[in-house]
Amino acid sequence: MSTLSRDRVRTMMGEVLSAQGKDLPSDDDTRLNAIGFRSLDFSELALRVEDELDAELNFDAPGLRSVETVSDVLDFIDQLQSA
Amino acid sequence: MSSHAGPAGSDNRIVAHGFDGTWAQLDGRTTLALPPAGAVLANNNFEAAQAVWAHATGERETLIASPSRIGDDQALELRRSGLAVVRGEQVEPALIDRAPEVGRIWLLTSGSTGRPKQVAHTLESLTTVRGEQPPRTWLCPYATGAYAWWQVVTMSLSLPGQDVLFVEPGQMDSWPQQALDAGVTAASGTPTFWRQALWRSAETVAQLDLRQVTLGGEPVDQSILDRLHEVFPKARVSWIYASSEAGAAIAVHDGRAGFPTAWLDREVNGRPRLSVQDDELIISSQHAAEGMSGAIRTGDHVEVADERVLITGRIASDEINVGGSKASAAKVRAVLLEHPKVAWATVRGRKAPLVGNVVTAQVVLDAPDAVSDADLVAWCAERLPDYAVPRRLRLLPEIPIKETLKSDV
Repeated sequence: MSTLSRDRVRTMMGEVLSAQGKDLPSDDDTRLNAIGFRSLDFSELALRVEDELDAELNFDAPGLRSVETVSDVLDFIDQLQSA
Repeated sequence: MSSHAGPAGSDNRIVAHGFDGTWAQLDGRTTLALPPAGAVLANNNFEAAQAVWAHATGERETLIASPSRIGDDQALELRRSGLAVVRGEQVEPALIDRAPEVGRIWLLTSGSTGRPKQVAHTLESLTTVRGEQPPRTWLCPYATGAYAWWQVVTMSLSLPGQDVLFVEPGQMDSWPQQALDAGVTAASGTPTFWRQALWRSAETVAQLDLRQVTLGGEPVDQSILDRLHEVFPKARVSWIYASSEAGAAIAVHDGRAGFPTAWLDREVNGRPRLSVQDDELIISSQHAAEGMSGAIRTGDHVEVADERVLITGRIASDEINVGGSKASAAKVRAVLLEHPKVAWATVRGRKAPLVGNVVTAQVVLDAPDAVSDADLVAWCAERLPDYAVPRRLRLLPEIPIKETLKSDV
């Protein structure tokens, strides 16, 4: 399965936020609650990645982990793509 | 006039796959080999009409379906149950020897709850339109052998003046012109059928001089009723609730979605008893299939609002659990359909990380680029809780429709 680059996923994360009139700051250490990026937004991002790859991600594979910053989101999507 | 001593509607005109004559004129036009007990896999409505006429005028046991409904395994099961399987002039004989159950008609359920199963009826139990009716030429676009198809067929067989134009599944693009040519004045179809018709060929469809428009087979919302009133101002617009198991149970003619709450738990001789348990519609009807007497749990979700009972969709597919919050697919769909540029919509849950499922939608617009997907999401966000707003929204180029005339189960 092909994978999307971290930059591409970051752009898509920005699109999820901009649809709600919010901006994605450049600092990956920004906390998600500071920018209003919620669980549903994360879910939407994962589905956008699925649609772009035209492949199903294995959502059950990665263990539960803390997703608190922009960087955590990008790491988690990386993990989903390689699971 | 024919001198045939057949059903009361023998001299009604039927137009079916190139045949244009009366039911009685099907005598001597048989292209099928019809055994006394047979499952007829009709390639078209002319073949199906022959099987109907043979059943109505003979001592037979009959199942009629389109070939696509019956797989090899099911054909074998039918033969094991004592029915020959008829494919045109070819007959695969029954595998047991038994006398036909004279008058029995078998229907296959829609299959929305799994594998199609057989439901026992007769011409009598399938005939639900009675009494004097104004002369009409009906459009019958339903799948051959489906309950709704039989409703139109039995009406035409039993009531003089009820002619029928049958539409073949492959003619869904061209039926409006055929209907104009045949002088159709009444038509029955699912909401999806009507939405697709108005979306594809609104100008031709609007030329039809319809006096009766009937909807059924799917939840009927106010927006499609209003649209049909607007396009066919001279028509009575009705919706019916019917299924092969429960029979024809509800008919509403006041132009409004849902039925009056006053009809609930009411005992009226000759009418089905309607009730609601745990938001599910329950029906006890004398038009039910055999073996289905008593209260039938319909599996359909209802909602009461403004003294109307609205049937919103299948319970099994309506609830979308989004991180513990329950979104109703029917409610989301209703919000999308309220948008003035939306011609059709369907809503489903889709598996997603963290929250389990998210709401997704597919939408067809009145015209390409009439509105953006982002605008539609914003429309929903203004009217729905956050968890119910579609997170993925796909614009489709045209309204998808199945042979059942439904697009969503």
